[in-house]
Amino acid sequence: MKSKTEPKKYLPEMPQREIEEIQTTVKAASMKVMADNIERMKKTSPNRPAAMQYFDEISNFFGTREKEIRAEKEKGKKVIGYFCMFAPIELILAADAIPVRVNSGWYDTSKVGDRVVPVEVCPVIRSTIGAKMVGLSPYLELSDAIISTLTCDGMTKLSEILSDAKPILTMAPPRVKDSPQSLSLWKEEIKTIKTQIEKITGNKITPKKLRAAIETIQKATKAFRRLQELRKGPPVIMGRDAMLVNQTAQWDDLKRWTEKTEALCDELEKRVQQKMWACPPDTPRVLITGTPMFWPDNWKMPTLLEEGNPQGVLVADELCSSDRILYDPVGIDEWTWEDMINGIAERYLMASTCPCFTSKDGNEDRINWLVNKVKEWKVNGVIYYVVRGCMLYAMEYSRVKRVLDSLNIPVYYLDTEYTREDVGQMKTRVEAFLEMLSARVEF
Amino acid sequence: MAFEEILSDAFRGTIIVGLTLAGLLAVLIWIKNRTTRVSYLRVVVQVASLVTIFATLLFLAQWPSILTVAIILMPFVVGRFFCGWICPFGLYMDLTTFVRKAFKMRYWNLPEKVNVYLHNFRYVLAASVLALPLLYGALDLNVWGAFALFKPPFLPLIIFFLGPLEPLIIPSQMGGSLILTKGWNLSYPYTRGFLDFLSDPLLASVLAGILVAFALATAFKVRRFWCRFCPTGVSAAALNRFKGFGWAPILRINKAEEKCTKCGICKRVCPLQVTEVYEQKGGDITTQMCMLCLRCVEMCPYEDCLKVNMAGKTLFKSRNWLEPTKVSEKPNEKQN
Repeated sequence: MKSKTEPKKYLPEMPQREIEEIQTTVKAASMKVMADNIERMKKTSPNRPAAMQYFDEISNFFGTREKEIRAEKEKGKKVIGYFCMFAPIELILAADAIPVRVNSGWYDTSKVGDRVVPVEVCPVIRSTIGAKMVGLSPYLELSDAIISTLTCDGMTKLSEILSDAKPILTMAPPRVKDSPQSLSLWKEEIKTIKTQIEKITGNKITPKKLRAAIETIQKATKAFRRLQELRKGPPVIMGRDAMLVNQTAQWDDLKRWTEKTEALCDELEKRVQQKMWACPPDTPRVLITGTPMFWPDNWKMPTLLEEGNPQGVLVADELCSSDRILYDPVGIDEWTWEDMINGIAERYLMASTCPCFTSKDGNEDRINWLVNKVKEWKVNGVIYYVVRGCMLYAMEYSRVKRVLDSLNIPVYYLDTEYTREDVGQMKTRVEAFLEMLSARVEF
Repeated sequence: MAFEEILSDAFRGTIIVGLTLAGLLAVLIWIKNRTTRVSYLRVVVQVASLVTIFATLLFLAQWPSILTVAIILMPFVVGRFFCGWICPFGLYMDLTTFVRKAFKMRYWNLPEKVNVYLHNFRYVLAASVLALPLLYGALDLNVWGAFALFKPPFLPLIIFFLGPLEPLIIPSQMGGSLILTKGWNLSYPYTRGFLDFLSDPLLASVLAGILVAFALATAFKVRRFWCRFCPTGVSAAALNRFKGFGWAPILRINKAEEKCTKCGICKRVCPLQVTEVYEQKGGDITTQMCMLCLRCVEMCPYEDCLKVNMAGKTLFKSRNWLEPTKVSEKPNEKQN
């Protein structure tokens, strides 16, 4: 725990009035953006599933879920935030804490973050710093500690910068996945984070609790996968809706989320039988890969795609902010303590397709998984989405392009910023790509 | 003789029930493609085959000829499938594993190098077993008869090929080491040879007992320890080694490269610590070490990533084992 007297290393002192001013304006703007996004999603698919109602509600950062977490916190529960999909949610749940992902998707706060780091830095990082400076993100403010995985350069320094404000628990993943020493290092990291979580929450993680947590997440994975499976067929749900469902898993109560997602899938399955599609089945099917995109502001890419003329539909993605959130399960052979820890370690390290990894043959896992996704989800075209400053994803592009070219799948590199200014220009680019795709589909 | 008749009926009943159960499970797996039941199927098949072997010993006088056929066919047809699914000794080791699981104890993993060393050591072991008859006067041409294989100097060959087939309790007329009760002897897998080569039956029994106790005790902490250097495994997997005989053990595991995210589950759950399933990129990943228990296929969470092929036809594949039962019961949406 940080004492308040310690001098801050990075974050500047801001006058309270300025903080409040920015916070209120950004919050108001954000509320508007969220409402607007949902409104537009409803407009795109007039017969949107009724079960989406719940996810619209829970997606509001300043709504029911914030109140719930606040109430739980008052009862003594701890909240643990995390940045990357490497944080072992099972351990957080087993310690009776609430896991929330605190990456920021606000455009406006990235400008506040510019005061600490230069603009060349990835906007996800800048925006998160800004959100902390003005105290915008409720989940970030409510968390008692933040698990930061040192994946990319941005995340590494972000954890350092934010340690001015919050206790940060760092985990260092090895950059090479498939050597035995890297797995043993990662297992040690998992064990360390376990003791740290226990210390913060004051609850002991017992094998029984851990097993219950793993089973909870497995059930959530089950529902999550079911939704992704449904997207394999003709579009029964718009990509944005599915993405919203996926993203709410980052902060919702996972048991309730599972129930609601199953209900949504039930509804969708009925629609499949009635052949009631969200958009015409010959709509070009697009996959997005690259930098994670976060609710609420950074929603422009899928919005442009699905509101474009000609329309496209997002059937799958390879983003750690959407399809990768709960897709990989923890597989347990024997329910012993060691095996559970091993299972968790392997699930978070080995199954990850983060571009921060490399190996003898490059980041083969990501390429393979991408090819699999393209084939299984019958994708017509791939959009490679990168925000400026996201080195790792940008640098892997040429390899991905080469592989997808050999499969005769068009891929389009789209780089952008955390800003609304380039929406018009992006619209032209996306629509040209969709035009080409729909011509190919008809052909 | 009434007792034996009842016994025979009981055995026959068990075999019928066991095989029916196994068949039912196999059909269920086939239809619903739910590999989560492979482990259960395996235990049922193992118990059924143990009972079958026991009954064969008891009631079939043609036991040696059946053995001969089995010896000839085994490497061709089943390969090390035998080790995972039929071998009674394997069943005993699995039972000790169940006991360990009941105590919620964790198994030990051998270091990979040691495992590979043991894997190679079994050739030494197999060679020495094969050399035994030469030590005991096999050069006497009189013993090269039709059934010479089952006469003392060549008996080690049977041990070599089918040693673990020996159930722990056998009828007296079959020999065995220690007399348990009237008409029943205690006999250990692999140890029949001791009786023939050592004049002192007590010493032979003690030695045999030590060997079996060692195998079972180690299997308690290290999964299927004996199987890692079992000489019978060499004979069963012999054909895997030669190119052109790849089809011979008709059950093969195939891996689809793209569907694998290298999550490592297959490597962790393997009772023999086979690493090839994880390490090899794709294609046929059946190795000599693999005893085809199919635990990896069962636990692989990625659909269609691992496939079990029988003579080129896919028997079943790895499934998304998290998939709720609801979906599979409804009409398949993928067909639309």
